[in-house]
Amino acid sequence: MKLAGLKSLESAHEDSIWAATWVPATDSRPHSLLLTGSLDETVRLWKVDDDIVLDRTNTGHSLGVVSVAAHPSGVIAASASLDSFVRVFDVDTNNTISTLESPPSESWQMQFDPKGTMLAVAGGSSTSIKVWDTATWQLVATLQIPRPESSKPNDKMATKKFVLSVAWSPDGRRLACGSMDGTISVFDVMRSKFLHHLEGHLMPVRSLVFSPNDPRVLFSGSDDAHIHMYDAEGKSLIGSLSGHSSWVLSIDASPDGAAIASGSSDKTVKLWDLGMRAAAQSMTNHSDMVWGVAFRPPGGAGVRSGRLASVSDDKSISLYDYS
Amino acid sequence: MIMVHLQEDNFTIQLKHLEELVESHPDDPSNYFDLGRLMWDRGEEWKEKAAEHFLKAAKLNPQNGEAFRYLGHYYSRVCMDTQRALKCYQRAVSINPDDSLSGEALCSLLDKEGKESLEVAVCREASGKSPRAFWAFSRLGFLLVHQKKWSEAVQSLQYAIRGTPSCADLWEALGLAYQRLGMYTAAIKSYGRAIELENTRVFAVIETGNIFLMLGSYRKGIEQFQHALEIWPQNVCAQYGLASGLLALSQECIKQGAFSWATSLLEDASKIAKSSTALAGNMPCVWKLHADIQLTYAKSFPWTESGTLEGEEAFSKSLLSWRRTRHIAAVSAKCSYQRALHLAPWQANIYMDVAVAVELICPIEVKHEDHTSWKLAEKMLLGSLLLEGENHEFWMALGCISGDKALRQHAFIRGLHLDVSLASAWAYLGKLYKEEGEFQLGRQAFDRARSIDPSLALPWAGMSTDISTRERSSDEAYDSCLRAVQIMPLAEFQIGLAKLAVRSSHLLSPEVFGAIRQALHCAPWYPETHNLNGLVSEGRHDYQSAVASYRLAHYAWKTSTVLLPHSHLVDISVNLARALCKEGNVQGAVQELEDLKERGLFDVEGLQIYAISLWKLGKNDQALCAAEDLATCIPTMKLSSAVASICLICSLLYSISGSKSTINRILKMPRELLQSAKVTFIISAVDALDQSSQLQAVVSRSRSILSSQEEIMEMHLLISLSKLIRNGYGQSLSLESGIDHLRKALHMYPNGTSLRNMLGYLLLSRKQRENNHVVQRVCAVVPFDQIKPDFRSAYEIIGAEAVACHATTTWKSKFFISTCKYQSLQGGASLMGLMQRWFRLEPWNQNARYVFILNLLRIAREARYPQHLMSVLKRMTSAALTNELLFNNRCESYKRFQLLLCSSELSLLGGDTSSCVSLAREASNLFLADTYTFFAHLQLCRAHVAEDNHTSLIEELNQCLKLKTDYPIGWISLMIIESRHRLQSGSTFSDSGFRNSIKESKKLENSWLAVYNLFCGLVFQRAQDFLRAEEFIAKACSLAATESCFFLCHGAICMELARKQCDSQYLTMCIRSLKKAQEVSSFHLPFVSLLLAQAEASLGSKLNWDRNLRIEWYSWSPETRPAELYFQMHLLSLRSETTLGPDDRDSPNWVLRAIHLNPSCLRYWRILQKLAE
Repeated sequence: MKLAGLKSLESAHEDSIWAATWVPATDSRPHSLLLTGSLDETVRLWKVDDDIVLDRTNTGHSLGVVSVAAHPSGVIAASASLDSFVRVFDVDTNNTISTLESPPSESWQMQFDPKGTMLAVAGGSSTSIKVWDTATWQLVATLQIPRPESSKPNDKMATKKFVLSVAWSPDGRRLACGSMDGTISVFDVMRSKFLHHLEGHLMPVRSLVFSPNDPRVLFSGSDDAHIHMYDAEGKSLIGSLSGHSSWVLSIDASPDGAAIASGSSDKTVKLWDLGMRAAAQSMTNHSDMVWGVAFRPPGGAGVRSGRLASVSDDKSISLYDYS
Repeated sequence: MIMVHLQEDNFTIQLKHLEELVESHPDDPSNYFDLGRLMWDRGEEWKEKAAEHFLKAAKLNPQNGEAFRYLGHYYSRVCMDTQRALKCYQRAVSINPDDSLSGEALCSLLDKEGKESLEVAVCREASGKSPRAFWAFSRLGFLLVHQKKWSEAVQSLQYAIRGTPSCADLWEALGLAYQRLGMYTAAIKSYGRAIELENTRVFAVIETGNIFLMLGSYRKGIEQFQHALEIWPQNVCAQYGLASGLLALSQECIKQGAFSWATSLLEDASKIAKSSTALAGNMPCVWKLHADIQLTYAKSFPWTESGTLEGEEAFSKSLLSWRRTRHIAAVSAKCSYQRALHLAPWQANIYMDVAVAVELICPIEVKHEDHTSWKLAEKMLLGSLLLEGENHEFWMALGCISGDKALRQHAFIRGLHLDVSLASAWAYLGKLYKEEGEFQLGRQAFDRARSIDPSLALPWAGMSTDISTRERSSDEAYDSCLRAVQIMPLAEFQIGLAKLAVRSSHLLSPEVFGAIRQALHCAPWYPETHNLNGLVSEGRHDYQSAVASYRLAHYAWKTSTVLLPHSHLVDISVNLARALCKEGNVQGAVQELEDLKERGLFDVEGLQIYAISLWKLGKNDQALCAAEDLATCIPTMKLSSAVASICLICSLLYSISGSKSTINRILKMPRELLQSAKVTFIISAVDALDQSSQLQAVVSRSRSILSSQEEIMEMHLLISLSKLIRNGYGQSLSLESGIDHLRKALHMYPNGTSLRNMLGYLLLSRKQRENNHVVQRVCAVVPFDQIKPDFRSAYEIIGAEAVACHATTTWKSKFFISTCKYQSLQGGASLMGLMQRWFRLEPWNQNARYVFILNLLRIAREARYPQHLMSVLKRMTSAALTNELLFNNRCESYKRFQLLLCSSELSLLGGDTSSCVSLAREASNLFLADTYTFFAHLQLCRAHVAEDNHTSLIEELNQCLKLKTDYPIGWISLMIIESRHRLQSGSTFSDSGFRNSIKESKKLENSWLAVYNLFCGLVFQRAQDFLRAEEFIAKACSLAATESCFFLCHGAICMELARKQCDSQYLTMCIRSLKKAQEVSSFHLPFVSLLLAQAEASLGSKLNWDRNLRIEWYSWSPETRPAELYFQMHLLSLRSETTLGPDDRDSPNWVLRAIHLNPSCLRYWRILQKLAE
């Protein structure tokens, strides 16, 4: 497997780009779009094939956009800014469908569940995952990380367990969230129940992703520069991938499940061969921290080849061919 | 090659030798050891064999530590058998705890294995066993530092340093331990030692810098960081430290109000911070620092273009660019804070920072209706509070940022819940209550805040507004506002201070000046800032900048986005007009005011200025109309402005239409409006110039209003001046009545400096010699006296007096003997001191220089023109003459005349007659009254005499006779010249001239006649006609019965006559005159007694001779006694056996002294010869 640089768009935003995701193709729109969020308070949609063309700029956030998420249907998407203001909008028309407001510091990474019925938001200082119903846009569940028994009430729980990242398992039964102290908490969605912690990271876990093939396998990227593979059910560390020299800010699993990509504050994008458990390739075309990597989901008309996009503090978007 | 071979040979020889030894003594372990070591050093392939030998050695001698060490090396390096190596090393160390090689190797192995506790135990054991096991101490020290057991580490490290004091690592570790223990000075010293040993110790340098920053010595800290960056330019820690040091320094600057300086520091800091974000982009603290710097920049970037702006457009442009700079910095701060937050969203304080930045970019409007939704800044603060609800800072920030009053109060109260002694919370609460109109509560809150923390600015400012609203005392308000400004240079406080200063007459104080100038840096958009700045400039008589400021205020009002009241604009316009008028641009002022008038925005002040401006333009009729308008407004005015208007109207009327109409107008005015000090002065002044005294009743009534001492004294001054005018006739003033009044007034107010000086001045103007000496006593020299510049200062009066009576004082009595009866109490030295002090106090004051030169000349004359004084005088006069090229009015040209004469006299004394002539000629060409020009020609006469230029002399004499003078002394001088050079031709003219001149002053006629007679007598004495000389001098004596010198002269002439004619009648006359001289003189006049003694002796009275000689002896100062006196004393000592004083041992002594003083006198030699025989 290999990555080949296709295109790099400089100054795609006016300031650092902090988030990226792909919007799957719909019936009316045969191609998928790239959605990016930036410190310049805008969200941009890009038509991406071999080239990157700006489709639209969405404004409305009053602080930097920290996270974007796309509905599996490709019709709607959500963006969250630093003031914990989540805007859900129609991808094609840019109509605001709903705004989800929570206290600042209580909205970070977001993900729609695989069926598209729920939106999970990493709850930051609330030490919980907030789950919103995508039909009514009401808060349906708050999955709280339990307070350790030993801790005193005035312990800085909110800081230690600050929830930064969230991931749905491909079967939609499990939710995992990563915290500032390096622990990962796994929840049973059906019963809204906390299951267990996954330990091993020493520093904040900024990115989580389940393997598309195996709902038990969870990948996590952390500030301790390592990527871990966990058995989310079995509560055990399967393996770890080391090679970044600084924080791992973002990871994504390839649609075929054979590889994962990671972006790091050491300014590189690495492709990891899961069979080899080693870095297959390291891309150094970004000149600043890489905040987001995203594989294009399969599907859509005429799309055969895999694509990986990465966004960075250097305001650029890079597109790679994955094969 | 040869060497290698030699070594090879050497080795084989040694090997053989040792092998033989081992074989011969198989029980001697040392042989095995030596052999082993030889092999060990040989190389890798020998090591195994060596180890065998070491093993044997160790077996035979289990106390040989070195053998174990080598074994340890063997196991660890060759066999890689760590366990065995450890055991061997342990054995080696336990045998010899000082063995640092084994110890270090052991510890390194343990370290590699991760057995930290074991390592510590080994080190402890070794260090316990031997005090010289320094390796163990240093290892232990490092380990303890690693384990953060700081105090134990300090002990170990100190011990280790004793063993190896030049190890920089140890010093560095010690420094760290001290730093963590909070012993910062010790830490700095330790780090310093480490840097001294190895000046590339970046860690030590950086930590030193950090300590300095922590201790608040930012400059030192910055130096350290700069040093660190020199060593390692890419070091993030050093960059971070440098940037934060610069930030802290700039904040200190801002606190002192030095905005531009702070800005430049911040620019540097920002650059450094930016470069460190490139190095460590994922450190939230770096981004936060960058944002902090930008935020400070955004808050403090000053507006500095005030002086150079022309026109509204330029002003708004500059304002816009200033705003943009601040905005850009604020936006950059916001972005950087967001980055920091994105990197570390769990850090509560960054949410607050973002909120502050957001608030700075777009402040929340106070009245937003929608209470349900949160504004962005408020919402971000909520993030902080969610994470750390118990942090009172966040609550305080919420209180400050929020727009909702209830929420603000709640936030402040929550802050107080968390910390009862939170002064700022009380202060803000007080401010909130003030805004709500709850003054009582507000005051209480401020009081609390102030009692908790007096160094907080806000409560002071709050108190000042509180006081000023109650109108209790504006001084108090000013003081507390001043304190607020001194604590924190905030534009709002500064503007408030200036406002209070306007009200409380502190406008001239430098604090206000500084404050308003600083306020200009931060609030250029606010018209009031410029307006107040203009007022301050105007108060300092800097009308040009005042005008500029008012114009800026105008522009600011027009460009202001906030709605300001229209009256404000009127105020600014009126201020502008006034400043223009004062600046001299009256036309502009009128223009401005007419604009206002058209818009119907005229107020009383505007009208006043309008009237003055019109008058200044010469449009008297219009000015009078304006005054009329003003007069009709008076009844509706406030009292203070009514008074000002009355004063203005009176002054205008007087200067336009004279005193009569003014008086009529005053008489028509309602009496109750005249009851004010200012008006009283005006009326009195008008009254003084009015001979008919119509206003007498009004004046005396209104005078009763005066209450303060200053006012009353001022009024006395005015009354005395009015008496001068009123009781005088024609052009002359009645000095006597003025003096009388002042004397009385002074009796009531002995401290009245201006009264005293005026009296002194009047006394001096009276030109009566006996009065002159009172002047010095009358005038009071006050340090920093604030006498109005129109009046003469005490210095000048006293100096003039000293010049007027040249004989009053003596500088150094041994050179000059004063004959003036009116000896002053002050010595001449102190007078000269006074003049010098004045000159030093006001070096720019031409008057001071002038009076000083005249006095110096007088003193030089008294001291018979010593060289040094002459050169000083020459320099000073020439400087004065070149400086004072701008003499224009008569008084000044008189001064120039005097200085020229001075200079000419100096040249004459220096023998430079040509320059003397040219200077005197220049003086004579000045346009002055003939009576003065006379003296220039007199000087020319003297110059020509010195030149021996007879024709020119006669020419000048004739010129003198033509010009004439009122001063008798001039005539006498002229006559002296005539008589010396036998120019009898004009003598009758000069005689009559003299007689005319003395007719003027009745009182002094006799004394001048006496002088004249003396002169005639001297002329005859010169002509050897002693009889006629005696006649004239006798006449002089009878005319001036109090002048001892005349009598001395007479006595001397009589003596000569007696000698010539051998007539004892002359002797008795002589004795009578000399006795009279003795009587009249207030001290022992020299020569008198000597002559008297001789005269008495000639009559045969030995006793009297004796007595008089003794008197004579004491009438001389020791330095000035003449030779003859010594000789006489010798004669005296011959006659009487009694000794005189302490310094008269024997008679040859007297003669010797006499000879010493005058060796040319043969008489003395003869006597000496006799004595020798």
